[in-house]
Amino acid sequence: MTNAPHESAEPAQRRNSVAYIRPKKTSAAVLFADKAADGIITVGGLLVILAVFGIMAFLIQVCVPLFSGGSLGARADYTLPSGHGAVLSARMDDYQTIALNLNADGSHSAFHVPTGTALNVPSFDFAGQKPTSISRTLKGDDLIFGFADGTIRLGRALLKADVLPGTAMPKNLTPLDTRDSTNGTLVYSKVPGGQARRISVILSLGAPQQVAPAGTPIIAVDYRVGGSSERPLKAFVSADAAGVVRLSMVASRINMMTGEETADITNTTLPAALEGSKIASLLLNSAADRVILGTSEGELYRFDTRNFDKPVLAERANVLGDGGKLTAISWMPGEISVVVGGSGGDVAVWFPVAKDGAKTVDGIAFVKAHTFPKQDGAITRIAVSQRTRMFVTGDDKGGVVLRHATTDRNLLELGPSPDTAGLATLLMAPRDDAILAVGINEKASLWQISVPHPEVTLGSLFGKVWYEGYAEPGYTWQSTAASDTFEPKLSLVPVLFGTIKAALYSLIFATPIALMAAIYTSEFMHLKVRGVVKPTMELMASLPSVVVGFVAALVLSPIVETWVGSVVIAFAVIPLGLVLAAYLWQILPMRIALQLEGAPKFILYFAVLGLAVWASVAMGPVIEAAFFAGDFKVWSTGRVGDGRAFTFLLLLPLSFGLVMTGLRRVLGEAYRMYLRRHLGVVGGLADFARWFGGALVAVLLAWFAAGLLSSGGFDPRGGFVDTYVQRNALIVAFAIGFAIIPIIYTIAEDALSSVPEHLRSASLACGATKWQTASWVIVPTAMSGIFSAIMIGMGRAVGETMIVVMATGNTPVLDWNIFNGLRTLSANIAVELPEAVRDSSLYRTLFLCALALFILTFIVNTIAEVVRQRFRKRAVQL
Amino acid sequence: MADVAQSGSGTTDLAEAQTTFRRSHGSDLAARGEPFLWGMGGALAFGMTMIVGFVAMVLYFGLTTFWPKPIEVVTLMDGKVIAGEPLRQERYRPTADQLAAENETVRQAIAADLGFATRTLYHLGNYDFYGDDFRWVPDFQAKQTERPAGLVLVERQEWGAFIGHISAITVKGSKIEGDALTPEVLAAAHVEARARRERLHDIENGRIADVNHEMEALRLQARRAVLDYGTGTPGQIAAQAEVDRRTAELQAGYTTLAAEAQIIKAEEAANTVTFREIGGATKVYPLSAIVRYFESNDLGLGGSLAVYGARWWEYLTAEPREANTEGGVAPAIFGTVVMTLVMSLLVAPFGVITALYLREYAKQGRIVSIVRISVNNLAGVPSIVYGVFGLGFFAYILGGSIDALFFPERLPSPTFGTGGLLWSALTLALLTVPVVIVATEEALSAVPRSMREGSLACGASKWQTIRYIVLPRAAPGIMTGLILAMARGAGEVAPLMLVGVVKLAPQLPFDLNWPFAHLERSFMHLGFHIFDVGFQSRNSEAGRPMVFVTTLVLIVIVLLLNVSAIAIRNRLKRRFQGSQF
Repeated sequence: MTNAPHESAEPAQRRNSVAYIRPKKTSAAVLFADKAADGIITVGGLLVILAVFGIMAFLIQVCVPLFSGGSLGARADYTLPSGHGAVLSARMDDYQTIALNLNADGSHSAFHVPTGTALNVPSFDFAGQKPTSISRTLKGDDLIFGFADGTIRLGRALLKADVLPGTAMPKNLTPLDTRDSTNGTLVYSKVPGGQARRISVILSLGAPQQVAPAGTPIIAVDYRVGGSSERPLKAFVSADAAGVVRLSMVASRINMMTGEETADITNTTLPAALEGSKIASLLLNSAADRVILGTSEGELYRFDTRNFDKPVLAERANVLGDGGKLTAISWMPGEISVVVGGSGGDVAVWFPVAKDGAKTVDGIAFVKAHTFPKQDGAITRIAVSQRTRMFVTGDDKGGVVLRHATTDRNLLELGPSPDTAGLATLLMAPRDDAILAVGINEKASLWQISVPHPEVTLGSLFGKVWYEGYAEPGYTWQSTAASDTFEPKLSLVPVLFGTIKAALYSLIFATPIALMAAIYTSEFMHLKVRGVVKPTMELMASLPSVVVGFVAALVLSPIVETWVGSVVIAFAVIPLGLVLAAYLWQILPMRIALQLEGAPKFILYFAVLGLAVWASVAMGPVIEAAFFAGDFKVWSTGRVGDGRAFTFLLLLPLSFGLVMTGLRRVLGEAYRMYLRRHLGVVGGLADFARWFGGALVAVLLAWFAAGLLSSGGFDPRGGFVDTYVQRNALIVAFAIGFAIIPIIYTIAEDALSSVPEHLRSASLACGATKWQTASWVIVPTAMSGIFSAIMIGMGRAVGETMIVVMATGNTPVLDWNIFNGLRTLSANIAVELPEAVRDSSLYRTLFLCALALFILTFIVNTIAEVVRQRFRKRAVQL
Repeated sequence: MADVAQSGSGTTDLAEAQTTFRRSHGSDLAARGEPFLWGMGGALAFGMTMIVGFVAMVLYFGLTTFWPKPIEVVTLMDGKVIAGEPLRQERYRPTADQLAAENETVRQAIAADLGFATRTLYHLGNYDFYGDDFRWVPDFQAKQTERPAGLVLVERQEWGAFIGHISAITVKGSKIEGDALTPEVLAAAHVEARARRERLHDIENGRIADVNHEMEALRLQARRAVLDYGTGTPGQIAAQAEVDRRTAELQAGYTTLAAEAQIIKAEEAANTVTFREIGGATKVYPLSAIVRYFESNDLGLGGSLAVYGARWWEYLTAEPREANTEGGVAPAIFGTVVMTLVMSLLVAPFGVITALYLREYAKQGRIVSIVRISVNNLAGVPSIVYGVFGLGFFAYILGGSIDALFFPERLPSPTFGTGGLLWSALTLALLTVPVVIVATEEALSAVPRSMREGSLACGASKWQTIRYIVLPRAAPGIMTGLILAMARGAGEVAPLMLVGVVKLAPQLPFDLNWPFAHLERSFMHLGFHIFDVGFQSRNSEAGRPMVFVTTLVLIVIVLLLNVSAIAIRNRLKRRFQGSQF
């Protein structure tokens, strides 16, 4: 700005000195600067506005894939070499390089997945026998075969992937496609970083072990390798044609001399009285403490084998009600739930839960948690994912459907299977990116699928979901756990609830204080004092919330925990104390009262407040001893004492209002006339007597009503109050309240102060008192401004993060208990997002939380802003 | 109140008058609204007490933390003796188990006090001796409490504080104990040991770290060559040869340094100190492990002041120790300041340009007013939402692209593709830009129309008018907005937790290695320091004093920024008040 005069002065000088012709045109530089500034500011301004709105667009863009379901990619068909018998089992490696199909004669028909080129893979040598039953572990590495002579053989078929330096790749390879090449047996893939990946097939087969009496065929088996890698626990379960079911433990011994490995097998017979022909399937879990036997008639036998020497039949459950046959059964990952397919095409997921009145030995019973749409033919094959709750079902009419267990839905209909005659085997690729179906006539199909977020639907986010092991469907948020087979539970309901709970409680605490303080500041306070008080309060709005959270959690919460009885009664004592002081003040002769008006009275407020706090602290333990079984915290658990005293506290405001309204109705006019005639000390005394009497009646009424309610069985515990937790909603309410009081206060005070002065003067001139002016003129006029103050406070309370993270236990629970913790949307993001894997379901769900917060606060703030602008316009017009 | 006063003085006349007049000249008590007044006044008093109390508490704890406390020796009822700094006393309810262990008289006394008893928290230190460094001692268990002279408090490099006696030291292998161990001898040996440690630290964390940094750079250079030219090409082979040659050189330098360090370490081992705790158990440590030691009960005012000053100095300038619960917070202060500065560098031009566009360039209409409301509201969007955006967009998408384009040799470990200072600053800039826009707009609209018109009428272009007339007058408002934005940015923690703040940053975002400013690095922050030490450390009690001091520092920074915003606003307001037409 200092340059401006210079510029104009310069030409003036030149004009004086030389005959200078003033150019009529603006200089090019000025024009250029103007144009440039124009461009930069317009583009920059628009960009920033765009960026700010881009936030919402970006959040939406991240969330959308959650709901896009699954998509079906390319389908490839293959023909396998014939003459080896039906395919018993199929496997594929993580990278969809080799598909390995085990034939009934022990040979493998392997092919390169992307091109279908056959690969030459060694065979299992079954010594001329054909397996009568086969099973493999969930991952597929370990196999068990049962034979007609009553023997079993354990085997391994590994698809091993090694990463090698690029230079280690052999030279004379046959290229298969751009990525892969083969030497006929192995496949080498080029991977980024100049390296190579070698996929090889490694087979091993154990010696035959006699399990059933010689000549009794093994008709069903299941094999599990559990325990740790140092101490593996190998166990299998087998059923023979005579209907005998045996659980066997395998102990491997390595011969020190020869290095040969031999397996010692110990057997126990399960207590099942069945005909052999009825046994359809056997399932064993990795801990080898639970065996499920499925009969063809649709019954599940659950054996408890925790005591290996004395297995117990724990439960028999019918899983097919309509008399159909059980045609397929499989564990889900985690080996708790089972997927059951029937001859009628019905598919359901069952899992055992502990429930009262279960007619079983151990109080646990199977429940049908998830039912799926029927398929046209009998379900013959079920393949489950190794990582998620997805599974594929194939029927004998050629239908193949991809489903998700927990959300009860069909994800993809894969269309006709390769062989309408039936399916020999069905497989989900280890990374859930493809499904392989092999028909009984040597035909195979591979579908590429992409279902990135099978577990998330609108229903699972906002509705009740029945998770494995839970007694009933519910709203659960639990994103991670130690176990591999854990299923993330992503319900937003507890988190949304927590957000509302925190905001509501803190608003209940903060709003009255902030608004009353604002009215007092704007209407009753001397201008000079106001000039100090208001900036102080404003300054507090800028206190970092991490500081407030820290103090709330580490200083306030232990204090409140020790003095919880005092804190509870302080909610009654402080307001009552202030009102009592007011009635006592009225008794003061007018002369003295007027003299003390101003600073002394203001100091007196603090004194009364201090006195009330002191009274609460002193009375707390006494009250606790008298009414709350000696310790409020113990009382809050609901085990001791009754709810009368707390009900009384809750009823007190209500009965107070009732009694005072009643008094006004009955005495109303007469009393007012009386008061008018008796001003000064007498009036004050009378008014005090009226209030005190009313209060006494109200207290008695509330106590009586509370007694009535409590003998009627009402107890506040279990709802609004329950077991006390150190970091709880009450602490959060105090802390967030502390943070939003200055905000509500400032905006409300601004609104009150901007009510035009002439309204105030007119009201006072008409003879209204300051109080009457405030309550009948100023507050109603500024109502919309006050409303917007509350809304903005609410916006802040909803989004507050650090305070909630620090001052609560962050437990995503659904209860109104003010003494329990909670988890809000914002705290949820802060706690979970740093650990979330990019683009995982959790990651996207947390973005959805952020979007919900964004939209929620945006709406609240917009309403507040619009109301405030309306108010401003009106205030100017008044 | 005027009307009330009138009625008060006229009471006697009124009583007579009322027999004839029905109308009262005074208002009744209800009109005074005294109960409501008291309620409102009480609410204000409550709010003010809360705020003043809060600040007073933070001030008290923050300022007294570093003041040396006396060491009390407590003889317990069971004959055990403990020594520690009394930290605070509180009333509590002993549990049933605790009560059961006491005798009848104690139980009766507690029952008479409605189940309450009093206890004192002692800081015992000696974590390596006891496995616990804090202990609550109920008053009924303490038989005798005294403050004997001669007890030493030692602040150590590891294991927290030691409270007890220094019974012996060895200097260059020879043991000094008993009367020979005079304070002067100890002090001299300590100073020497610390200097030696300093030298070792300089070699290990300075020169060896530099060598490592260069070797890492060379390794990346070699990988880069592979990616650029392909394996086995002449370019790559030449680059590899160069890298190998340089690496060999560095390796030689490293060996010399390591040998040098080894010699110092051997010297370290020959200089030890023996600690004896109050119960008589002893432990031997290198002498240089002592950061500071003093006899708490024998410090005069001067001695206390010296310790107090030294502790503050260490806090403000040193690096943290013991998982941030001891030592200093210099990296956190540095991180906070740098991040805030980078943020304000980003936010100032964009905020001002946007406000100029909205106020001076855009056509005022419905759309602009909607945009304005939205911008206003963005200031109220929770900060964590910006953090989520910053992580998803800046770090993962922008940063990921930058990595793929410019730092392919470092992949898969991310360079810009993860949280860092730049992304934190950008995120906070986005968070605070509405504050600057709103403040600037307000300031622009306060410049009288007449001045603009005058300038334009004199032939100035639009930009000249803005540049020389409007902006200078709006400067105070813009400045205020900017400082308020900085205050908000300095105090925010939640979004930073997602985009780049860490518990302990190995390197500062600025150092002497090319290119000096490493904006991709993660950094430490005072606010996060509070959260981390208060909630994630081994023992929240051990970190508590530190957190109070950090709280104090953070509040002082934020409040100073706020107060300076107000001061600047007021000063500049005055300067321009007279210049309006």
